[in-house]
Parts: sequence; C-alpha cells; structure tokens
Amino acid sequence: MKVLILGAGAVGGYWGARLAQAGFDVTFLLREKRAETVRRNGLVVKSPKGDFTVPVKVITKGPHGKLEGGPYDVVILACKGYDLPSAMDSIAPAVGAHTTIVPILNGHMHFATLDARFGKEKVAGGLARISGMLGPNGEILHSGASGVSFGERGGGERDGSAPRQALVELDAACRKSGIDGGLNANINQDLWDKWVMLGSIASMCAAMRGTVGDIMEAEEGAAIMGEILDECCNVAAAEGYRISDKVASGLRAGLTQKGGKAVASILGDIEKGGAVEARQIVGDMLARARRHGIAAPNLRFAYAHLQTYEARRARGGLK
Amino acid sequence: MKILILGAGAIGGYVGGRLQQSGADVTFLVRPARQQALQRDGLVIKSTKGDITQKVKTVQKGDEGGPYDIVLLTSKAYDLDSAIAAIAPAVGPQTTVVPLLNGMRHLDVLDARFGKDKVVGGLARVGVAMSTDGVIHHTSPFAAVSFGERDGGQPRRALSELDAAIKKSGIDGGLNPNIVQDLWDKWIMLCSLAATNCLMRGSSGDILEAGEGQAIVMETVDECQKVAAAAGHDPGEKGMKTIRSFLTVKGSKFTASMLHDLEKGSMVEADHIVGDMIARAKKAGIATPNLRLAYAHLQVYLARRARGA
Repeated sequence: MKVLILGAGAVGGYWGARLAQAGFDVTFLLREKRAETVRRNGLVVKSPKGDFTVPVKVITKGPHGKLEGGPYDVVILACKGYDLPSAMDSIAPAVGAHTTIVPILNGHMHFATLDARFGKEKVAGGLARISGMLGPNGEILHSGASGVSFGERGGGERDGSAPRQALVELDAACRKSGIDGGLNANINQDLWDKWVMLGSIASMCAAMRGTVGDIMEAEEGAAIMGEILDECCNVAAAEGYRISDKVASGLRAGLTQKGGKAVASILGDIEKGGAVEARQIVGDMLARARRHGIAAPNLRFAYAHLQTYEARRARGGLK
Repeated sequence: MKILILGAGAIGGYVGGRLQQSGADVTFLVRPARQQALQRDGLVIKSTKGDITQKVKTVQKGDEGGPYDIVLLTSKAYDLDSAIAAIAPAVGPQTTVVPLLNGMRHLDVLDARFGKDKVVGGLARVGVAMSTDGVIHHTSPFAAVSFGERDGGQPRRALSELDAAIKKSGIDGGLNPNIVQDLWDKWIMLCSLAATNCLMRGSSGDILEAGEGQAIVMETVDECQKVAAAAGHDPGEKGMKTIRSFLTVKGSKFTASMLHDLEKGSMVEADHIVGDMIARAKKAGIATPNLRLAYAHLQVYLARRARGA
C-alpha cells in the first residue's frame, strides 16, 4: 500500500511519521521550502509517547503539475477548509483510478467539493483527533491525543458494503504504528460527533474570546454553552445522526467545565489575525439549522462574529 | 458661583479649562501627582477650538477651598465609589452635584449618598482624550455639556448660573429641560453601539458586512428601546430614527470607546452600560437575548483580564 500525505503539519505529519517509523510506504507532498527542511532533517517528532526522527520520502509538485512515485492507494488530505481548492489541485495528479482519498477536514462542506472533483466513490470519510502544532524549526510538537478514524461514507454503490481494501490496509498499518482508532464502520456518526463538539467550542471561544473556563466566569456562560451544544445536537439529529446521550453528556461536561483550559484553535487564529474556517465550522452548521427549521440563535451570533472578524481582517483593521 | 471638578482628566479638564478661561471660578480636585504636574505645567489643552495653557486652582481634598455651588463629576462608572468618597467633603447643604456619566445607575447611587435634591441630571458629548503627558487633546468638532432638573421643573439658581457660564465658555449645550430623556437616548445609543461592537469585535461598518449584522444591531437597539419605554422614556420615532441611522452607516469605521478599551486590555463600564440595561429589562419582563450575549462577552473579557491573559 502506497500512501501520499499532503503537507506535513501537526496532524498529517504526526500520522505519516508514525506510519513511516513502522516501515510503511509513505510519501509527503510538500511545498519547496518545507520539502527542503524535511529532506534535510527528516520528520522530527516530539511526543509524550516518545520523541523520534524519521527520514521520509518527499515529493514536490513537478513541472506541469506531474507527481513522482504514483499511483497511490491512499491520499490523506489534511488541510484547512479554505485551502481545499489549492489542495485538490495539488493532489489531483496523484489520484488514479484506484486511489482512495481520506480527507481530514473539519465540518462537512468539503465532501461535496471533493465528490464533485474526484467522484464520490474515491472519497472516504475521515477525521483525526491528534493534538499538536509545528515548532519553530518545523518539528512536530505532539501534545496528546493521537487518534484517527476513517471509513466508508456509504450511499450509492457502496451502501452497506464492506470497506474497500485500501482502508482495511490503512487500518492494519495504523494499528502497527501506534496510532489509535482506525477503521470506523460509523464514520458518518463520528464526523457529526466531532463537528457538534467543534461547532460548539469554536463558536463560543471565538464569539466570547476566551477559554471554556473564561466563559464559565460569565453569569450566563454555562447556559449559553449548553444552548449552543443543543443547537448543534439538534442539527445532527435532523441530518440523521443523533448524538447519543453518552456522547452529548460527555461534551456538555467538557464544554461547561469550571476553570476548563479547553480552547478552540480558532481563537488562536483570530488573535494572530489569521484565516479562520468560519463557514466550514459555524456557517454551514447554521445553514443546516435553517434548512431544518431549527432555532440556532447562538450559532447565528457566532457566525456574525466570525464574519465581522473576516470583514475587519479584509480591510486591514486588525492590530 | 464656585465650581469643583473632580479630576482633571479628558472631559473634566476640558470643560473646567474652558469655564475658567471664560472667567468662571473653577477648582480641580486631584491626586498629588496630577496636582504637581498642573502646578508645574498648568492645564494644557490642544483643541480644534483653540489651544490653552493656563494656571488652575487645585485641591487634594474635598473640604479645601469650598463651599462649592457645583460639583462636576466625570469619573468612570467603575470608579464611582471612590469618586463619591472624594467629593463627599465638598458637598454642603447648598451644593448641587452634576454627574456627567453615561448610563443611569450612578444617579441611584448618588441619590442614596447625597439625597435626591442635590443631584441633577447631566451628560457630556466631548470628543476628547488625555495623553500620558497630561495634555488634553480635543480633536473632534463637538464639545457639549447639558444638564437640568430631573423632574423637568424650574432649574435651581446654581444650574441657571452654570448655564450662563457654559454659554460664555463656548461649550455647546447648557440647561436642558428634558435631561432625563436625553440621558436615555444617549444610553440606548451607547449601549447598542458598545454591545454590538464588543460582541462582534468590530466597527459598525464591519458588523454590517456580516450576513446577519444589520439585523443583530437593529434587534439590540429594539431591546434597549423597550427598556427605555418601560421606564417611561421611549425616545419616540424621531429619536429612534437618529439612533438607528447612526448605527447602520455602511463602511463606518466608527467604534465604541469600549471596544478600544477592550483591545487595550483596559477596564470597561460593562456593568454600568450593558449589565444595568439587562437588569432593568429583567425587572420589566423584557427579553434581551442580544444584550445577554454581549454582556457575557464582556464578563469573559473581565475574567480573562483578571487572570492576566
């Protein structure tokens, strides 16, 4: 099985480094500058599960967009939603007749885009619960969770069918590499579970500009957090993916934890003046709420907050 | 008529400076450091209406230099308690306190402390700031102070005299028979502006770029209007039109000073401007979902500020 990973950030980089460390055939498709660093140093990982450095195969976009080393069985796509169009252009030459794309993006909007470009049968469902960031020298600073989840999204020809060979092999590789999770028969539910969590925490950390613990300091903070979780849960249920009581109460506890240090990365992006996945994480959840006639006042505020941020960023009005 | 002004900050310094320049008897109640600077440099105002540098009378304690006919109070609402403690010795049987604060709650606090008959309504519209060197910069074309009896009745003598002094000083405004309505109008405007600017962290123009931005601003204004109406001070259609059109200027870079304070990490009048509006709404059974979110945002800010982040 040949795996191509686009980018070597915290998520794709950590996942690929573990696969490479276990001896699997992994190639990273990188921009010239990042490629140079990784060719020279290998992938440097600092992790609570043990630090390691592993040399990996690196390719860059060749002349005329050609890519070396293909065809690939699996392409892991871990990019920000707003970079998806350019990411698709980058991987397109690596996607052959038998390639499976495993996208690791937030929300659901990317599926329609990927399906339209590559065909639905090539696009599996996937998500990662890997926390970390890149250090100043391009090293991967892994800080905790190291789980992935992927599987058939179903529908059409694949409805009810067993997972394709490539996903079974990727699952086996993850198990041998010390990556948690793997093949998930209920990936759609998992995607919704994660989106509900992210939709709630990202909305409120952005709109309130604080951590969970900070938000709990406001008189109405816990109530507001509970309401937005309800809004997201209602959307998931209306879409056919009811969040189980167990998952919902776990999320509620985490989102309303007094003194909780949990914070959505979108807040860091905002405070740096960076781009944000406003539509992917919040706007699309709100749009689906409207489609189903679900009241979502808190999502509405959060999305207005993020759109205001984007307008201000566009006019250069951030400090 | 003797006037005591608490502090010689942006608004107090500007108003007091203009009053004295036109011959009024003005004393500033200041802290030792500010007194030293004023004695050394004088009161320095750079203004679109002409610069002034002048010697001023200062005292460190309210019981010096009195009795005073008028005490002008221009503190921030969160400093009100210490401001009251500072002016208390200056407030005698014949003194009138003229507070120039935003919102309404300070009036209840002042009434409780000094008696309702000593406290009149007042507000300032002066676009002014003080730089770290103590110079007062008046950069906008407007400078207005208005005041009046809160029951709308015949103004007491001290207010008539203050009116004459204000008119002589070139400051706009003066006696206002509808001061309480004016206070509500300004509070509705300011509360809507501060709540939306802070909750969205953008100028009014930025907010209008959001799909629901205009709707959210309008709803917020409505919430405030209902609270005012329940208190018997609905601004009416004309007043509301002025407020709404001011808040919905496409491309406006205008922002509430509270947003500047937020972005500087400074203290904010969250309770006074937004919290008190919500408290009054609750008492009157009025729903204020937008103000609720805005107030939560401000409380989160204050919590974060308190923990030093």
